[in-house]
Amino acid sequence: MSKSNYIYLYDGSFINLLNLIKILLKKKIIPQNIKDDTYLPNLLEQSFKFKIEDDEKVIQEIINGTSKNILTTIYYLFLSNEENKELLIYYFLVHSLKFKNKVYYMRNLKSVDKALKVVMYVSHENHKFKGFVRFKELANNILYAEISPVNNILPILSNYFKKRLKNEFFIIKDVKRNIVSVYDKKDFYILDGEEFKLIGNKESSSEKLIQDMWIAFYKTIGIKERKNDRCRRNFMPKKYWKNIIEMRDEL
Amino acid sequence: MDIKEKLIILADSAKYDASCSSSGSNRKTKNGLGTTSIAGICHSFASDGRCISLLKILMTNCCCYDCKYCLNRKSNNIKRAIFTKEEICEITLNFYRRNYIEGLFLSSGIIKNPDYTMNLMIEAISFLRKKYHFGGYIHAKAIPGASEYLIKKLGQLVDRMSANIELPTENGLKLLAPNKESTKVTKIMKYVDNNRNARFVPAGQSTQMIIGATNESDLEIMSKSASLYNSYKLKRVFYSAYIPVNNDKLLPSLKLPPLKRENRLYQADFLLRFYKFKVPDILDEKNPNFNLLIDPKADWALRHLEEFPKEINSASYDELLKIPGVGVKSAKRIISARKYFKLTFNDLSKLGIVLKRAKYFILCGGKYFIDGNNFKRNFIEKNLILEDKIYETTSNEQLKLSLFDE
Repeated sequence: MSKSNYIYLYDGSFINLLNLIKILLKKKIIPQNIKDDTYLPNLLEQSFKFKIEDDEKVIQEIINGTSKNILTTIYYLFLSNEENKELLIYYFLVHSLKFKNKVYYMRNLKSVDKALKVVMYVSHENHKFKGFVRFKELANNILYAEISPVNNILPILSNYFKKRLKNEFFIIKDVKRNIVSVYDKKDFYILDGEEFKLIGNKESSSEKLIQDMWIAFYKTIGIKERKNDRCRRNFMPKKYWKNIIEMRDEL
Repeated sequence: MDIKEKLIILADSAKYDASCSSSGSNRKTKNGLGTTSIAGICHSFASDGRCISLLKILMTNCCCYDCKYCLNRKSNNIKRAIFTKEEICEITLNFYRRNYIEGLFLSSGIIKNPDYTMNLMIEAISFLRKKYHFGGYIHAKAIPGASEYLIKKLGQLVDRMSANIELPTENGLKLLAPNKESTKVTKIMKYVDNNRNARFVPAGQSTQMIIGATNESDLEIMSKSASLYNSYKLKRVFYSAYIPVNNDKLLPSLKLPPLKRENRLYQADFLLRFYKFKVPDILDEKNPNFNLLIDPKADWALRHLEEFPKEINSASYDELLKIPGVGVKSAKRIISARKYFKLTFNDLSKLGIVLKRAKYFILCGGKYFIDGNNFKRNFIEKNLILEDKIYETTSNEQLKLSLFDE
């Protein structure tokens, strides 16, 4: 029934994907590809969908079979914008089950090398956004920010701000993916942008002054005798500028 | 004067301080606002490409000293301002909540006397920490000449404290900053070093020297740095290329700040701290200044070609570190990876090791990257300089100054 030259489908969630891979490994199927179920196969491709139970035990099974680090690596792969990330996860897991933590040094294996590069990208982008996110204060005191990162870093980024802005309400919206993270001083929830709409997102009365002061500070702090545009762009790529308020004037 | 105008004046006077790092501290918050991150976080990058991590301001730019190189010296006719402690807190907290900054960098001109100035700074910072429970990063400048009990008090409130040595020699200081004595600065460093713990200056101390305002050689500068690192376990010495802001017959007239020289000093500084080099390895009485065409590590390697090329698959960690283009991370990666398989040039690229410089100085499985007869000083030197030139003229997006490799 199930064959290796099939494209296997899952429902787009991390747990569902891990359970699918578990089935594939058990049945010793090497998939041609793995895609979420919005995928439209072309004429030469055949797709197949198992009936998958969303069993969260799979998380612990992966940790037991490999390590916590490897689970994190797989999760970061899942958050990436890489086209065939699911297949990358499948191969990375296969190698990890064999090599355990040594897999991180097996750069001579093509799929491991690729996976680690992708993970590095996600993790670097997340680190950059810890700095680049710009909140504004809404009239009801809630902090609101918009981002458009390349990778889907919203969950890991929210987890960071949950610690930093522990006693604030905040909302971060990934404009590109139309998803929103909402923090209620206890935990954060990732919601679909269609389900969650801001009503009356008026800025607080002091917001304009604070933004003006920040922009004035930004313009003052650069030393004009040392002007270096290239260096600045390398650290703060232009693609992020539209959500960084002090850069808007230069766009 | 409104608060925005004050901010512009007091940021403008503070911008020449090079340090903006927010690393070395790891604080979690209970009821307050903010945390610190061990690696530090850059929030923005200024037009000069430098990272903006902290709200870098002076408490006041009024100063009773008259240091020749300083914009804020007494004899300059400029607009003066002073922040109240409430204003400092208001800006810091508002910027921090919006994630503009990682914390506060507070320095100050000297008003009345060092103790008076330090007291005002302590009040502001203490307000921030105790009244507003601010848990973000604070880097404060200690004022040389202030009493020890004030140093103690400030150190308990901040993550990093530092005092600027300003110029590498006592003569330079006498010439340009007649009100300052280096012993007052080293006294602070010594006190911080002796008392440092998780509750007192947890992120350690740093200092800064101005480069090119006086005629010290690079050898004198590096020797000073080495002695500071050894005596007081400083986290960083920052080098700030001299930028003329005042006209004074005692000051050199420069059109452009000596940025290349500053870059070489930073590179050499990293060699001292992370690559087990000593000052006499890289500079001596015969060559007291850096070669501006070639970085100090490659320059050293070219003068010691008898130690190269090194076999990547067998060289020790210390030997790997001496290879131009191989950093601490790369050396560690090589050591771990070669346990499992034999490395080729291709594998090195996959490990993320930049071969631009390294390839001239290594062997992989006994092989040089081209015909081994080319392993000659002339050939390597020419190519290194050529590759740097190409690099500087193309708008390569991969630009990475080794200075920021940390």
